Amino acid sequence: MIKLLFFGRLGDATYAAPEVFEASVGLTAAGVRDALSSLYPALGRALFEPQVLVSVDRVIVDWQQPLLDGCELAFLPPVTGG
Amino acid sequence: MRLSGRQFARYSRHLLMDDIGVDGQDRLLNSHILIVGMGGLGCPAALYLAAAGIGRMTVCDADVVADSNLHRQILYRQGDVGEFKVDCAKRALQEVNADLVVQAYAQSVSAEILDGDYQLVLDCTDNLAARGLLNRHCRASRLPLVSASAIGWEGQLLAFDFVRQQSPCFNCSITQSKPEAATELAEDCSSAGVLGPVLGVMGSLQATTAIAMILGYFQQHGELQRYDGKSGRWMNVTLSTNPNCQLCCGSKVDV
Repeated sequence: MIKLLFFGRLGDATYAAPEVFEASVGLTAAGVRDALSSLYPALGRALFEPQVLVSVDRVIVDWQQPLLDGCELAFLPPVTGG
Repeated sequence: MRLSGRQFARYSRHLLMDDIGVDGQDRLLNSHILIVGMGGLGCPAALYLAAAGIGRMTVCDADVVADSNLHRQILYRQGDVGEFKVDCAKRALQEVNADLVVQAYAQSVSAEILDGDYQLVLDCTDNLAARGLLNRHCRASRLPLVSASAIGWEGQLLAFDFVRQQSPCFNCSITQSKPEAATELAEDCSSAGVLGPVLGVMGSLQATTAIAMILGYFQQHGELQRYDGKSGRWMNVTLSTNPNCQLCCGSKVDV
């Protein structure tokens, strides 16, 4: 299983985001995002905002990063104001 | 520089720290920091740096103080509304520390402003265009850059030591997912809102990071630090040089 972490407002209860995702061969961060979008449309819209960052085991990665069973996949929403 | 008797008293709590002491305080007193943006981040960052004994500060911001600034921009008072932020900031900062030399520019950051003898730059801006400009300049000039941002309950800090050739840059983080992500977001503090103290956390973190960098202690270069005040969570993630970054790897991204 892949552990999912939705940081900040992506973790708001209204999104009802799941905590884990079934690992499979060739699965990428983008693949998880696509699957979540079809199951949770509001969460999907938030994940498709520009500048959402994704990390695997606390390292920022490309969305095409292949995921290994047991990793932590985290989504970080954009923060740009000041 | 020799500390005066008054300065010995003023900075005594720094002098008591083995890893600051007289030498470290002297280094702070001889430092010149550029702060771009005197809003929610710039106010707390500048206040702590002024109090801590940074010797010179150049501040720039084109805006005047508005009522809607007062819940978070803690250098300004109700009577300041309508005045340039940098003029009010200079006055308030020098009330905190009369030894501080402040150069104030009531304008957006420009090549003229960037052309200074700074030890470090604080990015306290609220838009991607200014952040991109500071990133490019600091990277090219090999100047340390401490960039922060906030929205809602959340804050983010990125510190880059561009003295190191292999440092990732701000553009690396923005274009990590895809080059087209390097566009302004529809949401900023003026449209989505922000909790005032979150900016205090992030601005104070910028000041702390700046002091740690000037004193040569800071280790988290190229790490992205995230804070969520609502849940009380912090998260640090590592950023690496991104093959999609025009500045670091020469791909065709225009930021």
